[in-house]
Parts: sequence; C-alpha cells; structure tokens
Amino acid sequence: GGTPRMKRLAPRSTLRKIIKKHKPELRLAANADLLVRMRGRQVHLSFLLFLHRLAEEARTKAFENRSKIIKPEHIIAAAKVI
Amino acid sequence: SLQPLKAKPVPKSSGASQRKPREPEIASSLIKGIFRHYAKMPVSRDAFRVVEKCSERYFKQLSNDLEAYSRHAGRKTVEMADLELLMRRQGLVTDKMPMNVLIEHYFPMEYRKLLIPVAVCGNKVIPSK
Repeated sequence: GGTPRMKRLAPRSTLRKIIKKHKPELRLAANADLLVRMRGRQVHLSFLLFLHRLAEEARTKAFENRSKIIKPEHIIAAAKVI
Repeated sequence: SLQPLKAKPVPKSSGASQRKPREPEIASSLIKGIFRHYAKMPVSRDAFRVVEKCSERYFKQLSNDLEAYSRHAGRKTVEMADLELLMRRQGLVTDKMPMNVLIEHYFPMEYRKLLIPVAVCGNKVIPSK
C-alpha cells in the first residue's frame, strides 16, 4: 500500500516550501493544506484551479487562431486574461 | 608551493542532511500532466515552458497576497480564511461557487481518480467498487 509514502509526503508539501522561499516568516496553518493528489503527487487546490483556468483560456485562444496546437502566444494571451 | 588542503567545513546543523538544497518548486512533469489534461489538445514544448514560467509567477504572487492578508489580520500564519479570500479575489470562489462546493467538486473526483484517468492495459474493464 502507498499509505506510508503519503504520510511522509503530507507534512512536507511543496506549497509550504515555496511560501517559505518567498516569505520565510510566513507560516501555513494545517487547515490551509488544501491538497489534491494528482498523478501520485500533491498539488494545492488553488494551483490546480489556476492551471485548469490557464489551460481552458489557452485552448480558447488556440481555437480563435484556428490553431490545432497550443502555442506559447496562446498561453501568454491566456495569462493576461486570468 | 601548494597550500595544504583545507578540511571541509563540518555542517553546522547536526540534523541537516547532506543533500543539496533544491529550489522548491512543483515538478515540471506534474505541471505538464495537469495542464495537458485540462488543455485537451496538443501543447507545444515552448508553450509548456511558458506554463512553467506562469506557475512560478503564480506562486510568487500567491505568497505576496497571502502575506498581505494574514498581516492585515495581525497574524503570521496563513489561515484557511486567507486562502478563501485569495481564491475569491482570483474569481475561483464566488457566491455561486463557495469554497466548500469547490472542495467537494475537486476532492471526491480525486478519490475516484477521475481527474487523471488511469490508463488501463488492453481493453479490460475494471469493475467499480
């Protein structure tokens, strides 16, 4: 079972580390750990939603440009909107 | 003449591991996987690089905002309320989509492994429990 691995990963979330990098003084309350397990790893809910939105916007931009593939300019345009 | 080799400095903290500190960041493979899942169409390699840049910026902004919110409330700890406020300002949480609905929407899905469907070998159908 993967339970021990999850336990080990749980308190060391990347979000904590990233916030610590940017704001060493700032702490994250335990209940602020809104983590979703994706592809065996943990992602913060807000980041998941951010990527969801960015992807959907970029997809819309690609459609508008009649492109069959999402290109950098579509991401940049999407990032400006969201 | 050659200087005698200096002994390597002993690590100060006894508990610290010898590992090189790596920049904390979300694994690019994870970002790619999530983005590809939601994009539902091919994404160029250069576009993924921009997504990673955007992600870095996102976390920097997130840290700034969370600090501002918690400081405003006279705290040094980011509480759930700060995150909710942040997600409200991002337009992710609205009156029509409250935080708990969002959580319910994303978390049960996670448990059912619907978010990233697992590739199954052949055309075997795994019966749902």
